[in-house]
Amino acid sequence: MKRLISLTCSALVAMLSLVAAMEPAQAHGERAQMPQLRMRSVHWFDINVSTVNMQINDLIKVTGSFMPSNYWPEHVQSIEKTAFLNIGVPGPSFVRLDSRVNGVPMIRSTAFKKGELYNFEITLKARKTGRYHVHPVINVEGTGPIIGPGLWVEVGGDEAAFENSATTLLGKTINLESYGLANAAFWSGLWFVIGLAWFAYWLLKCPIVVPRFKRVNELGPAEADKIITPNDRRAGLVFLVLALSVVAGSYMYTQEKWPITTPLQTGKIEVPPIDVDLPLQVRLQDARYRIPGRSFRMELEVTNSGDSPVMVGEFAAGNLRFINSDVLKVTPKDEDDLVATDALRVEGGPIAPGETRTIVVYADDALWETQRMTTMIASPDALVAGMLFFFDANGERFPVEVGGMMIPEFV
Amino acid sequence: MSQELAASAVHSTAEQHRVHVQVDLLAIPLVVLLFAAVFSFQFALLVGDWDYWIDWRDRRWWPLVTPLALTILPAVFGYFLWERLRLPLGATLTIIALTAAAWISRYLNFHLFANFPMNMVWPSAYIGLGLIVDCILLLTGSFFWTGLFGGFAFGVLLYPMNWPLLAPFQVPVEMHGTMLTVSDLMGFEYIRTAIPEYVRIIEQSTLRTFGEAVTPLTAVFAGFLNIMNFWFWTWIGYLGSKALWLRKIV
Ligand SMILES: [Cu+2]
Repeated sequence: MKRLISLTCSALVAMLSLVAAMEPAQAHGERAQMPQLRMRSVHWFDINVSTVNMQINDLIKVTGSFMPSNYWPEHVQSIEKTAFLNIGVPGPSFVRLDSRVNGVPMIRSTAFKKGELYNFEITLKARKTGRYHVHPVINVEGTGPIIGPGLWVEVGGDEAAFENSATTLLGKTINLESYGLANAAFWSGLWFVIGLAWFAYWLLKCPIVVPRFKRVNELGPAEADKIITPNDRRAGLVFLVLALSVVAGSYMYTQEKWPITTPLQTGKIEVPPIDVDLPLQVRLQDARYRIPGRSFRMELEVTNSGDSPVMVGEFAAGNLRFINSDVLKVTPKDEDDLVATDALRVEGGPIAPGETRTIVVYADDALWETQRMTTMIASPDALVAGMLFFFDANGERFPVEVGGMMIPEFV
Repeated sequence: MSQELAASAVHSTAEQHRVHVQVDLLAIPLVVLLFAAVFSFQFALLVGDWDYWIDWRDRRWWPLVTPLALTILPAVFGYFLWERLRLPLGATLTIIALTAAAWISRYLNFHLFANFPMNMVWPSAYIGLGLIVDCILLLTGSFFWTGLFGGFAFGVLLYPMNWPLLAPFQVPVEMHGTMLTVSDLMGFEYIRTAIPEYVRIIEQSTLRTFGEAVTPLTAVFAGFLNIMNFWFWTWIGYLGSKALWLRKIV
């Protein structure tokens, strides 16, 4: 008997660990993605959260902008096919009440155009307490999640007080946390009872394994059916009729109770991009990354067709921000905000209206190293891309994507 | 040979009875656990998300994929238990084991660990399908007729059997000018970072010849496919049982 118990236990442990291995994976790894993909997929900027400290049931808005890169890798399935704006939090620690890109609800999947500008706003309601690194994410079909910058949000309060309801088109208000569960559990339970009753019918003949095995062997395949008694057949008929009746009865009952239903809804939605008129033309002439100095150097030809002198205030690549402190004052939002507040050096001064000039921009910071961007030299196509933020004399900002070949310098 | 040895070692019939009861006590729980483990793994592999999430159970793909995957173990083990023990329990028992393991897994992993509300991740009801197959096997004593009627019933009845559980989740709601079902709404609100909307393999809008008749057509089609499927897996059970038998003789 002891052996039986220990065997049963070990089988149970094996089963539970198997079940545990099947839990849904939690995607979260800002540094895990290849630098190439990070630099040339989606440029995220102005990521903000409306609060960093909240209670259960409080709302938070995650806002920002993004631009799919013109340098989107050829071998990776394009964001112009199918994409979905998502949020990177561990499971449903929040519920998503609204999600919009350029004002269009993003309940369904969509597609984004390369080189176009999009603003997003996601409204969440806190459901579980904890400290969360909240990231905007764009899932791209065939490519995977493109993760934006994360910000820390702390949620306190009483989880039991969480509420989430909806009103159906039939005018009924339902609690989404529990709706339909009792009903599903009832029918599941009923089937368990019927199934276990069938099992019990045969178990009551215990012992069943050895005696039946012997008897079937003795009778041989042609005669073995003799082991089945008339009672067995009667029970089989009763259970068969019972099962079919429950299926038919429960189906008719349901048609009566829920006459109005609709199939699962899906389909793609279109989002018009934002029109931007840039008074600037920028061409990347040369890009070099000096490994010993963690220094990224770009030679740019800039034409200013506007009416105010412009300067480079920020360079952003792969969710890292390098700020020119002469132009822009930025304070990191939290300890994991990937911003180097004084890491951008610009040689060549402001570009006057109507002028075309070559400037040199240096983005020097250990962030390249700590965020594992330096492995870009190990990629088969040494293409890089990033966003340059120009500012005119009035402080107006012009985001421009630049990209091209990059030459590593080893000495 | 070994049976005679075992028999001679047992002196009285009372003692023999006791030994046989102990064999049952040992073997039956182990077999049920084995069913649960093997079936959970196989089902997760072949059906997976269709059965995990309320917003994946559509009327075209879920009722087609599920019976085909769900038939495998009931047919294989159904053959074993009938051929060796004349017990019509293989289908019911495997599916009870699968369903029990699924409820435990959804509760522990999806609900307690991953925080999804239980009403978004409850497992579907399949036990009745196994029962119907077992009863037909008992009444006909034939794998041919069991495949023909039981295999067909498996495919046809899966959707109506689950409709009482599913219908409340397919009531329409409106969100920001979009009509959704309650299932879709929950799929949108309860965030799954790794499962974006487009990943769902569900019925897409198409120009249909048969209008409203998607569900019955899918069910009948699944039923016919499943007849072959059931026979095939019974045959695999036959091959497996023959292999075991041969090894015993050798
Ligand atoms: Cu993070």
